[in-house]
Amino acid sequence: MGTTCHIMPVAEGKSVQQTVELLTRKLEMLGAEKQGTFCVDCETYHTAASTLGSQGQAGKLMYVMHNSEYPLSCFALFENGPCLVADTNFDVLMVKLKGFFQSAKASKIETRGTRYQYCDFLVKVGTVTMGPSARGISVEVEYGPCVVASDCWSLLLEFLQSFLGSHTPGAPTVFGNRHDAVYSPADTMVQYMELFNKIRKQQQVPVAGIR
Amino acid sequence: MEAPPVTMMPVTGGTINMMEYLLQGSVLDHSLESLIHRLRGLCDNMEPETFVDHEMVFLLKGQQASPFVLRARRSLDRAGAPWHLRYLGQPEMGDKNRHALVRNCVDIATSENLTDFLMEMGFRMDHEFVARGHLFRKGIMKIVVYKIFRILVPGNTDNTEALSLSYLVELSVVAPAGQDMVSDDMRNFAEQLKPLVHLEKIDPKRLM
Repeated sequence: MGTTCHIMPVAEGKSVQQTVELLTRKLEMLGAEKQGTFCVDCETYHTAASTLGSQGQAGKLMYVMHNSEYPLSCFALFENGPCLVADTNFDVLMVKLKGFFQSAKASKIETRGTRYQYCDFLVKVGTVTMGPSARGISVEVEYGPCVVASDCWSLLLEFLQSFLGSHTPGAPTVFGNRHDAVYSPADTMVQYMELFNKIRKQQQVPVAGIR
Repeated sequence: MEAPPVTMMPVTGGTINMMEYLLQGSVLDHSLESLIHRLRGLCDNMEPETFVDHEMVFLLKGQQASPFVLRARRSLDRAGAPWHLRYLGQPEMGDKNRHALVRNCVDIATSENLTDFLMEMGFRMDHEFVARGHLFRKGIMKIVVYKIFRILVPGNTDNTEALSLSYLVELSVVAPAGQDMVSDDMRNFAEQLKPLVHLEKIDPKRLM
Protein backbone atom coordinates (compact mmCIF):
# COMPACT_ATOMS: atom_id res chain seq x y z
CA MET A 1 0.00 0.00 0.00
CA GLY A 2 1.43 3.31 -0.93
CA THR A 3 0.37 6.75 -1.96
CA THR A 4 -1.68 7.19 -5.09
CA CYS A 5 -2.98 9.98 -7.20
CA HIS A 6 -5.42 10.05 -10.07
CA ILE A 7 -5.81 12.07 -13.19
CA MET A 8 -8.15 12.19 -16.06
CA PRO A 9 -6.33 13.08 -19.24
CA VAL A 10 -8.09 13.38 -22.55
CA ALA A 11 -5.86 13.94 -25.55
CA GLU A 12 -6.67 16.57 -28.15
CA GLY A 13 -8.40 15.27 -31.23
CA LYS A 14 -8.32 11.64 -30.13
CA SER A 15 -10.90 9.19 -28.90
CA VAL A 16 -10.82 7.55 -25.49
CA GLN A 17 -9.52 4.30 -26.90
CA GLN A 18 -6.70 5.99 -28.81
CA THR A 19 -5.58 7.93 -25.74
CA VAL A 20 -5.50 4.77 -23.66
CA GLU A 21 -3.39 3.07 -26.32
CA LEU A 22 -1.04 6.06 -26.46
CA LEU A 23 -0.54 6.01 -22.71
CA THR A 24 0.00 2.26 -22.50
CA ARG A 25 2.49 2.37 -25.34
CA LYS A 26 4.43 5.14 -23.58
CA LEU A 27 4.48 3.08 -20.40
CA GLU A 28 5.69 -0.01 -22.21
CA MET A 29 8.44 2.01 -23.83
CA LEU A 30 9.51 3.21 -20.39
CA GLY A 31 9.93 -0.41 -19.45
CA ALA A 32 6.82 -1.04 -17.38
CA GLU A 33 5.56 -4.63 -17.10
CA LYS A 34 1.95 -5.54 -17.63
CA GLN A 35 0.55 -7.16 -14.51
CA GLY A 36 -3.04 -8.16 -14.99
CA THR A 37 -6.14 -6.01 -14.95
CA PHE A 38 -8.00 -3.87 -12.47
CA CYS A 39 -11.51 -2.62 -11.94
CA VAL A 40 -12.96 0.09 -9.73
CA ASP A 41 -16.70 0.58 -9.67
CA CYS A 42 -19.06 2.97 -7.97
CA GLU A 43 -22.78 2.81 -7.29
CA THR A 44 -24.79 5.76 -6.10
CA TYR A 45 -27.54 5.55 -3.50
CA HIS A 46 -29.80 8.30 -2.35
CA THR A 47 -32.09 8.49 0.64
CA ALA A 48 -35.54 7.30 -0.37
CA ALA A 49 -38.35 9.86 -0.32
CA SER A 50 -40.10 8.03 2.51
CA THR A 51 -37.20 8.57 4.90
CA LEU A 52 -36.71 12.21 3.94
CA GLY A 53 -39.99 13.43 5.37
CA SER A 54 -39.24 12.28 8.90
CA GLN A 55 -35.69 13.58 8.88
CA GLY A 56 -36.48 16.96 7.42
CA GLN A 57 -33.21 17.24 5.54
CA ALA A 58 -32.13 17.14 1.94
CA GLY A 59 -31.30 13.71 0.61
CA LYS A 60 -27.63 12.83 0.66
CA LEU A 61 -25.79 10.80 -1.91
CA MET A 62 -23.96 7.74 -0.71
CA TYR A 63 -21.37 6.05 -2.90
CA VAL A 64 -20.60 2.35 -2.53
CA MET A 65 -17.37 1.42 -4.28
CA HIS A 66 -15.26 -1.63 -4.89
CA ASN A 67 -11.63 -1.83 -5.89
CA SER A 68 -10.09 -4.99 -7.32
CA GLU A 69 -6.86 -4.07 -5.50
CA TYR A 70 -8.74 -4.79 -2.24
CA PRO A 71 -11.05 -7.62 -3.32
CA LEU A 72 -12.45 -8.41 0.12
CA SER A 73 -13.43 -4.85 0.91
CA CYS A 74 -16.26 -2.54 0.17
CA PHE A 75 -15.95 1.23 0.55
CA ALA A 76 -18.93 3.41 1.39
CA LEU A 77 -18.62 7.16 1.41
CA PHE A 78 -20.43 10.45 1.46
CA GLU A 79 -19.08 13.45 -0.40
CA ASN A 80 -17.17 15.55 2.17
CA GLY A 81 -18.10 12.94 4.72
CA PRO A 82 -16.65 9.85 6.31
CA CYS A 83 -15.46 6.89 4.25
CA LEU A 84 -16.32 3.53 5.76
CA VAL A 85 -14.16 0.52 4.93
CA ALA A 86 -16.17 -2.67 5.35
CA ASP A 87 -16.13 -6.24 4.12
CA THR A 88 -18.17 -7.41 1.15
CA ASN A 89 -21.23 -8.24 3.29
CA PHE A 90 -21.93 -4.51 3.19
CA ASP A 91 -23.45 -5.09 -0.26
CA VAL A 92 -25.86 -7.60 1.29
CA LEU A 93 -26.79 -4.97 3.88
CA MET A 94 -27.54 -2.44 1.13
CA VAL A 95 -30.00 -4.94 -0.33
CA LYS A 96 -31.75 -5.11 3.05
CA LEU A 97 -31.79 -1.30 3.19
CA LYS A 98 -33.59 -1.11 -0.16
CA GLY A 99 -36.57 0.62 1.38
CA PHE A 100 -34.46 3.43 2.79
CA PHE A 101 -31.73 3.87 0.20
CA GLN A 102 -32.49 3.67 -3.44
CA SER A 103 -29.86 2.89 -5.99
CA ALA A 104 -29.71 5.26 -8.91
CA LYS A 105 -29.20 2.44 -11.39
CA ALA A 106 -28.32 4.65 -14.31
CA SER A 107 -25.38 6.22 -12.54
CA LYS A 108 -23.28 3.09 -11.95
CA ILE A 109 -19.83 4.06 -13.17
CA GLU A 110 -16.71 1.96 -13.43
CA THR A 111 -13.18 2.00 -14.74
CA ARG A 112 -11.40 -1.04 -16.12
CA GLY A 113 -7.96 -1.44 -17.56
CA THR A 114 -4.46 -2.79 -17.22
CA ARG A 115 -2.01 -2.62 -14.35
CA TYR A 116 1.62 -1.78 -15.07
CA GLN A 117 4.46 -2.26 -12.63
CA TYR A 118 7.49 -0.01 -13.10
CA CYS A 119 9.97 -0.53 -10.24
CA ASP A 120 8.22 0.96 -7.18
CA PHE A 121 5.42 2.50 -9.21
CA LEU A 122 2.14 0.82 -10.01
CA VAL A 123 0.30 2.50 -12.86
CA LYS A 124 -3.28 1.68 -13.75
CA VAL A 125 -4.72 3.03 -16.97
CA GLY A 126 -8.44 2.47 -17.29
CA THR A 127 -11.39 3.41 -19.44
CA VAL A 128 -14.21 4.97 -17.47
CA THR A 129 -17.59 3.71 -18.61
CA MET A 130 -21.14 4.50 -17.64
CA GLY A 131 -23.34 1.77 -18.98
CA PRO A 132 -22.28 1.00 -22.53
CA SER A 133 -20.51 4.27 -23.28
CA ALA A 134 -16.91 5.17 -22.60
CA ARG A 135 -16.75 8.54 -20.92
CA GLY A 136 -13.12 9.12 -20.13
CA ILE A 137 -9.85 7.78 -18.87
CA SER A 138 -8.50 7.29 -15.41
CA VAL A 139 -4.83 6.98 -14.60
CA GLU A 140 -3.82 5.93 -11.12
CA VAL A 141 -0.20 6.01 -10.03
CA GLU A 142 0.83 4.41 -6.79
CA TYR A 143 4.23 4.80 -5.21
CA GLY A 144 4.51 1.70 -3.04
CA PRO A 145 7.27 2.38 -0.51
CA CYS A 146 5.88 5.61 0.93
CA VAL A 147 2.72 6.07 2.96
CA VAL A 148 3.05 9.75 3.80
CA ALA A 149 1.72 11.89 0.97
CA SER A 150 3.82 14.99 1.51
CA ASP A 151 7.04 12.96 1.43
CA CYS A 152 6.58 11.60 -2.05
CA TRP A 153 4.34 14.01 -3.93
CA SER A 154 7.26 15.57 -5.81
CA LEU A 155 8.52 12.15 -6.83
CA LEU A 156 5.06 11.16 -8.07
CA LEU A 157 4.82 14.43 -9.99
CA GLU A 158 8.16 13.85 -11.68
CA PHE A 159 7.16 10.34 -12.70
CA LEU A 160 3.82 11.56 -14.03
CA GLN A 161 5.51 14.21 -16.13
CA SER A 162 7.74 11.60 -17.70
CA PHE A 163 4.87 9.87 -19.43
CA LEU A 164 1.98 12.32 -19.33
CA GLY A 165 3.86 15.41 -20.41
CA SER A 166 1.56 18.42 -20.36
CA HIS A 167 -1.39 16.61 -18.81
CA THR A 168 0.13 16.38 -15.34
CA PRO A 169 -2.31 17.59 -12.70
CA GLY A 170 -1.93 19.48 -9.45
CA ALA A 171 -1.88 17.84 -6.02
CA PRO A 172 -5.11 15.98 -5.20
CA THR A 173 -7.34 17.55 -2.55
CA VAL A 174 -6.99 14.57 -0.20
CA PHE A 175 -3.34 15.44 0.18
CA GLY A 176 -4.15 19.05 0.99
CA ASN A 177 -5.91 18.57 4.31
CA ARG A 178 -3.65 16.12 6.04
CA HIS A 179 -0.26 16.28 4.42
CA ASP A 180 1.60 14.36 7.07
CA ALA A 181 -1.02 11.75 7.86
CA VAL A 182 -0.59 8.14 6.78
CA TYR A 183 -2.21 7.55 3.41
CA SER A 184 -4.83 4.84 3.33
CA PRO A 185 -6.95 3.00 0.71
CA ALA A 186 -9.94 5.13 1.78
CA ASP A 187 -8.09 8.18 0.41
CA THR A 188 -7.69 6.39 -2.93
CA MET A 189 -11.43 5.75 -3.05
CA VAL A 190 -12.22 9.39 -2.25
CA GLN A 191 -10.06 10.39 -5.22
CA TYR A 192 -11.88 7.93 -7.46
CA MET A 193 -15.23 9.28 -6.30
CA GLU A 194 -14.15 12.84 -7.16
CA LEU A 195 -12.86 11.63 -10.52
CA PHE A 196 -16.12 9.83 -11.31
CA ASN A 197 -18.16 12.85 -10.29
CA LYS A 198 -16.09 15.07 -12.54
CA ILE A 199 -16.59 12.68 -15.44
CA ARG A 200 -20.32 12.38 -14.74
CA LYS A 201 -20.72 16.15 -14.91
CA GLN A 202 -18.71 16.40 -18.11
CA GLN A 203 -20.45 16.25 -21.45
CA GLN A 204 -20.07 12.96 -23.24
CA VAL A 205 -16.74 13.04 -25.10
CA PRO A 206 -17.59 13.16 -28.82
CA VAL A 207 -15.45 11.32 -31.37
CA ALA A 208 -13.74 14.53 -32.49
CA GLY A 209 -12.37 15.02 -28.99
CA ILE A 210 -12.52 18.10 -26.76
CA ARG A 211 -10.60 19.02 -23.63
CA MET B 1 -45.44 -9.27 10.95
CA GLU B 2 -44.08 -12.58 9.84
CA ALA B 3 -41.09 -12.55 7.56
CA PRO B 4 -41.33 -14.86 4.57
CA PRO B 5 -39.09 -17.89 5.01
CA VAL B 6 -35.66 -16.77 3.88
CA THR B 7 -35.04 -20.14 2.21
CA MET B 8 -37.54 -19.11 -0.41
CA MET B 9 -35.88 -15.79 -1.14
CA PRO B 10 -33.57 -15.54 -4.12
CA VAL B 11 -29.85 -15.58 -3.56
CA THR B 12 -28.97 -11.99 -4.37
CA GLY B 13 -25.64 -10.88 -5.74
CA GLY B 14 -24.08 -14.30 -5.37
CA THR B 15 -24.24 -14.30 -1.57
CA ILE B 16 -26.12 -16.80 0.52
CA ASN B 17 -28.50 -15.60 3.19
CA MET B 18 -27.09 -16.49 6.57
CA MET B 19 -29.36 -17.34 9.45
CA GLU B 20 -28.72 -17.08 13.15
CA TYR B 21 -30.10 -19.92 15.26
CA LEU B 22 -30.44 -18.86 18.88
CA LEU B 23 -31.25 -20.37 22.27
CA GLN B 24 -31.14 -18.25 25.41
CA GLY B 25 -31.23 -18.71 29.15
CA SER B 26 -29.81 -17.17 32.27
CA VAL B 27 -28.06 -18.09 35.51
CA LEU B 28 -27.77 -16.21 38.77
CA ASP B 29 -24.34 -14.83 39.66
CA HIS B 30 -23.61 -17.48 42.27
CA SER B 31 -24.11 -20.29 39.72
CA LEU B 32 -21.68 -18.83 37.22
CA GLU B 33 -18.65 -20.86 38.32
CA SER B 34 -20.40 -24.24 38.03
CA LEU B 35 -21.71 -23.32 34.58
CA ILE B 36 -18.27 -22.21 33.38
CA HIS B 37 -16.81 -25.43 34.75
CA ARG B 38 -19.36 -27.55 32.88
CA LEU B 39 -18.87 -25.57 29.65
CA ARG B 40 -15.12 -25.94 29.86
CA GLY B 41 -15.62 -29.68 29.96
CA LEU B 42 -18.17 -29.88 27.15
CA CYS B 43 -16.74 -27.36 24.72
CA ASP B 44 -13.72 -27.34 22.43
CA ASN B 45 -10.43 -27.26 24.21
CA MET B 46 -9.10 -23.72 24.09
CA GLU B 47 -7.78 -21.02 26.37
CA PRO B 48 -10.64 -19.52 28.36
CA GLU B 49 -11.67 -16.48 26.40
CA THR B 50 -13.17 -13.42 28.04
CA PHE B 51 -14.42 -10.33 26.36
CA VAL B 52 -15.57 -6.81 27.11
CA ASP B 53 -17.67 -5.35 24.32
CA HIS B 54 -19.49 -2.07 23.89
CA GLU B 55 -22.62 -2.37 21.79
CA MET B 56 -24.67 0.49 20.38
CA VAL B 57 -28.04 -0.03 18.79
CA PHE B 58 -28.97 2.34 15.96
CA LEU B 59 -32.39 2.96 14.45
CA LEU B 60 -33.36 4.40 11.11
CA LYS B 61 -36.92 5.67 11.11
CA GLY B 62 -38.73 5.74 7.84
CA GLN B 63 -42.36 5.80 6.88
CA GLN B 64 -42.55 2.08 7.53
CA ALA B 65 -44.07 1.15 10.87
CA SER B 66 -40.95 -0.49 12.24
CA PRO B 67 -37.57 1.23 12.18
CA PHE B 68 -34.52 -0.47 10.72
CA VAL B 69 -32.23 -1.70 13.50
CA LEU B 70 -28.47 -2.07 13.23
CA ARG B 71 -26.12 -3.12 16.01
CA ALA B 72 -22.58 -1.75 16.16
CA ARG B 73 -20.22 -3.56 18.47
CA ARG B 74 -16.64 -2.88 19.38
CA SER B 75 -14.15 -4.57 21.63
CA LEU B 76 -13.01 -2.62 24.68
CA ASP B 77 -10.22 -5.02 25.57
CA ARG B 78 -8.76 -5.91 22.18
CA ALA B 79 -7.07 -2.95 20.58
CA GLY B 80 -7.13 -2.90 16.80
CA ALA B 81 -10.02 -5.31 16.37
CA PRO B 82 -12.46 -4.17 13.68
CA TRP B 83 -15.89 -2.92 14.62
CA HIS B 84 -18.72 -5.37 14.05
CA LEU B 85 -21.94 -4.26 12.40
CA ARG B 86 -24.86 -6.65 12.61
CA TYR B 87 -28.30 -6.75 11.08
CA LEU B 88 -30.84 -9.19 12.53
CA GLY B 89 -34.09 -9.82 10.74
CA GLN B 90 -37.47 -10.75 12.15
CA PRO B 91 -37.64 -14.24 13.68
CA GLU B 92 -38.98 -16.79 11.24
CA MET B 93 -42.25 -18.24 12.41
CA GLY B 94 -42.13 -21.36 10.35
CA ASP B 95 -42.01 -24.67 12.09
CA LYS B 96 -43.34 -24.78 15.66
CA ASN B 97 -41.22 -27.88 16.16
CA ARG B 98 -38.06 -26.02 15.34
CA HIS B 99 -36.06 -25.89 18.52
CA ALA B 100 -34.24 -22.60 18.09
CA LEU B 101 -35.14 -19.04 17.20
CA VAL B 102 -34.17 -18.46 13.58
CA ARG B 103 -33.56 -15.08 12.03
CA ASN B 104 -31.73 -13.67 9.04
CA CYS B 105 -28.41 -12.18 9.97
CA VAL B 106 -25.80 -10.11 8.17
CA ASP B 107 -22.42 -9.58 9.85
CA ILE B 108 -20.05 -6.93 8.58
CA ALA B 109 -16.59 -6.01 9.83
CA THR B 110 -15.92 -2.30 9.48
CA SER B 111 -13.41 0.45 10.14
CA GLU B 112 -13.52 2.58 13.28
CA ASN B 113 -15.56 5.46 11.89
CA LEU B 114 -18.70 3.31 11.88
CA THR B 115 -20.75 5.47 14.26
CA ASP B 116 -19.99 8.66 12.29
CA PHE B 117 -20.95 6.88 9.12
CA LEU B 118 -24.22 5.54 10.51
CA MET B 119 -25.16 9.02 11.74
CA GLU B 120 -24.41 10.39 8.26
CA MET B 121 -26.73 7.72 6.82
CA GLY B 122 -29.49 8.98 9.08
CA PHE B 123 -29.33 6.41 11.88
CA ARG B 124 -29.74 7.57 15.46
CA MET B 125 -28.48 5.71 18.53
CA ASP B 126 -31.28 4.19 20.52
CA HIS B 127 -29.39 2.65 23.40
CA GLU B 128 -26.00 1.24 24.33
CA PHE B 129 -24.59 -1.19 26.83
CA VAL B 130 -21.40 -2.97 27.82
CA ALA B 131 -21.25 -6.76 27.76
CA ARG B 132 -18.62 -8.54 29.80
CA GLY B 133 -18.24 -12.30 29.86
CA HIS B 134 -16.89 -15.58 28.58
CA LEU B 135 -16.87 -17.17 25.17
CA PHE B 136 -16.87 -20.89 24.37
CA ARG B 137 -17.08 -22.82 21.12
CA LYS B 138 -18.17 -26.31 20.17
CA GLY B 139 -17.79 -26.92 16.47
CA ILE B 140 -19.92 -24.27 14.80
CA MET B 141 -21.83 -23.51 17.99
CA LYS B 142 -20.92 -20.45 19.99
CA ILE B 143 -21.77 -20.23 23.67
CA VAL B 144 -21.56 -16.85 25.34
CA VAL B 145 -22.06 -16.22 29.06
CA TYR B 146 -22.13 -12.52 29.77
CA LYS B 147 -23.39 -9.79 32.02
CA ILE B 148 -24.99 -6.64 30.69
CA PHE B 149 -23.92 -3.32 32.16
CA ARG B 150 -25.91 -0.15 31.82
CA ILE B 151 -23.91 2.89 30.75
CA LEU B 152 -24.69 5.71 33.15
CA VAL B 153 -23.22 8.59 31.16
CA PRO B 154 -23.68 8.29 27.38
CA GLY B 155 -20.40 7.47 25.72
CA ASN B 156 -18.53 6.75 28.94
CA THR B 157 -17.85 3.03 29.06
CA ASP B 158 -15.90 3.15 32.33
CA ASN B 159 -18.85 4.24 34.41
CA THR B 160 -21.25 1.30 34.28
CA GLU B 161 -23.55 -0.58 36.56
CA ALA B 162 -24.78 -4.14 36.26
CA LEU B 163 -28.28 -4.46 34.91
CA SER B 164 -29.16 -7.54 36.99
CA LEU B 165 -27.81 -10.16 39.36
CA SER B 166 -27.54 -12.74 36.62
CA TYR B 167 -25.63 -13.73 33.53
CA LEU B 168 -27.24 -14.16 30.14
CA VAL B 169 -26.36 -17.42 28.39
CA GLU B 170 -26.69 -17.63 24.63
CA LEU B 171 -26.11 -20.60 22.35
CA SER B 172 -25.97 -19.54 18.73
CA VAL B 173 -25.00 -20.75 15.30
CA VAL B 174 -24.69 -18.73 12.13
CA ALA B 175 -25.32 -21.01 9.17
CA PRO B 176 -26.63 -20.73 5.61
CA ALA B 177 -30.40 -20.72 5.24
CA GLY B 178 -32.14 -24.07 5.12
CA GLN B 179 -29.95 -26.08 7.48
CA ASP B 180 -32.51 -26.99 10.07
CA MET B 181 -30.61 -29.93 11.52
CA VAL B 182 -28.49 -27.28 13.22
CA SER B 183 -31.28 -26.61 15.70
CA ASP B 184 -31.38 -30.33 16.60
CA ASP B 185 -27.68 -30.26 17.44
CA MET B 186 -28.24 -27.16 19.50
CA ARG B 187 -31.07 -28.77 21.44
CA ASN B 188 -28.94 -31.82 22.17
CA PHE B 189 -26.18 -29.62 23.50
CA ALA B 190 -28.63 -27.59 25.56
CA GLU B 191 -29.85 -30.84 27.17
CA GLN B 192 -26.34 -31.40 28.52
CA LEU B 193 -26.40 -28.08 30.29
CA LYS B 194 -29.52 -28.89 32.26
CA PRO B 195 -30.24 -28.38 35.14
CA LEU B 196 -27.55 -25.69 35.49
CA VAL B 197 -29.24 -23.57 32.86
CA HIS B 198 -32.36 -24.02 30.75
CA LEU B 199 -31.75 -22.76 27.25
CA GLU B 200 -34.88 -22.18 25.26
CA LYS B 201 -36.28 -20.39 22.28
CA ILE B 202 -37.40 -16.99 23.51
CA ASP B 203 -39.51 -14.92 21.15
CA PRO B 204 -38.48 -11.28 21.72
CA LYS B 205 -41.95 -10.04 20.74
CA ARG B 206 -43.63 -11.88 23.58
CA LEU B 207 -41.55 -9.92 26.08
CA MET B 208 -42.72 -6.52 24.87
